[in-house]
Amino acid sequence: MKKLVTLFLAIGLTGCALLMPKEAEANTNITGTVESRCEVVTDIQGYFGNPNAYTLTTLPASNGQIPQIRITSTLANAYKAIVSYPTSFSSSPSLSNSVTWSGTVAIASASSSDMSGYAAASTVTNNGAMRTYYLTHAGTIYVTVASEAIYGGNKAYPGGQYVAVAEASCVAQ
Amino acid sequence: MALWVLLLLPFCSFSYSYTFGYTGNAAQGGNSWGMTTPVLGVTVQEGLDISGVIYTYNPIKEVSDDFTVTVQNENAAGDGYIFQDTEDFSGKHPIRIRKVLQLPYVPIESFGQGSIATTGVGTLKDESVIYMYRFDACRNPQNDPSCPDYIPPLPPPIKIYDALDDDSVKLASKETDKELIDDDEDNKQSNEEEEDKDRLEKMLGIASNAFTLADGVTQSSLINTMNSVNMDTYYLARIPSKVYREPLVLKDQGISDNRKVLRSLSNDRLHQTMIEEQYK
Repeated sequence: MKKLVTLFLAIGLTGCALLMPKEAEANTNITGTVESRCEVVTDIQGYFGNPNAYTLTTLPASNGQIPQIRITSTLANAYKAIVSYPTSFSSSPSLSNSVTWSGTVAIASASSSDMSGYAAASTVTNNGAMRTYYLTHAGTIYVTVASEAIYGGNKAYPGGQYVAVAEASCVAQ
Repeated sequence: MALWVLLLLPFCSFSYSYTFGYTGNAAQGGNSWGMTTPVLGVTVQEGLDISGVIYTYNPIKEVSDDFTVTVQNENAAGDGYIFQDTEDFSGKHPIRIRKVLQLPYVPIESFGQGSIATTGVGTLKDESVIYMYRFDACRNPQNDPSCPDYIPPLPPPIKIYDALDDDSVKLASKETDKELIDDDEDNKQSNEEEEDKDRLEKMLGIASNAFTLADGVTQSSLINTMNSVNMDTYYLARIPSKVYREPLVLKDQGISDNRKVLRSLSNDRLHQTMIEEQYK
């Protein structure tokens, strides 16, 4: 009796196996969107003043305007902000002499007193032109980028329009 | 169906006439302020809702000092705060704070006194508190005549001035000398008493002698006769008019020259000639 039951069970399982399709598979797409938790916005447009023939500067005393960039991170310890002052013109008349660039990147204000240590903890690269802030707190910092370009040999700049770019970006840590 | 939609459309449509904007710097006059029109620079009235606060300040302190700064607005009911935001600079480098606080739309009527409060050692510089607002002009339809439920205000009632009801006039026309009033009343009372006395004496006289009455009547009629003057003779008198004509007529008889005058004129000319010769 026991053998008979075993036989029927074996035949039944074999039958089931024959009725089943040979392969069962499905490919399902899994999608997701990651929104950046860091935002970089130009708050104040900058422009050069021309206090003398061979200097272009963003200093307000020389009729220039220092640009201000707003960097907002909604996540703590997730991003670092990299800001640099320009070291060349992106567009200008043809220049025969070299241009000496100088500038500063600084935090003008912040949304929290917890960010008061950002300046001390920041690092500088690219001969001082690029400054990196580690955004260890959620909130907003307002960064100013002052710059000055002196034409070589104190010669007069050729007439025309001069454009330089201050770069700011949010990079994941 | 489309017809029903068209019919119901006027009842369903409602347009929000919101205006959005920013107030002026509420902390311009100090670190405590009221939510009033002169402070905020916008008209504070029903329909104005605050949706956020943008504040900045620059703390001046030493790193080692404890210092906290709180920006806040009391509840108008006096039982707490609409918002409170504190920055603790204790043991930290001072950094200029610029912050945006989002609020649910809160009616301006709910806002009480605003302030920037500090504790510890330090000061603030360049404080600025700006409110973001939304204004619904038609929440109170009387704000704007273009609002749907606007009711034109009734003209103010005209008050008719009655000088007799004027307390000042009454006071001015009231007799103020108490002694004079008392004297007047005393005189009036004594006159009445004298008249009563005379009348009583006369009545007693009439009773004793009936001729007194007749005499009185006769005298009365005599006085009436004397007083009755017929004025008609004066009013109806006619004065005849008369024309006065000019009786004198003057005729032109000619006027001869005065020879004495001519002689005098020749003397004058001679005199003038003599005078002029001096200057030649």
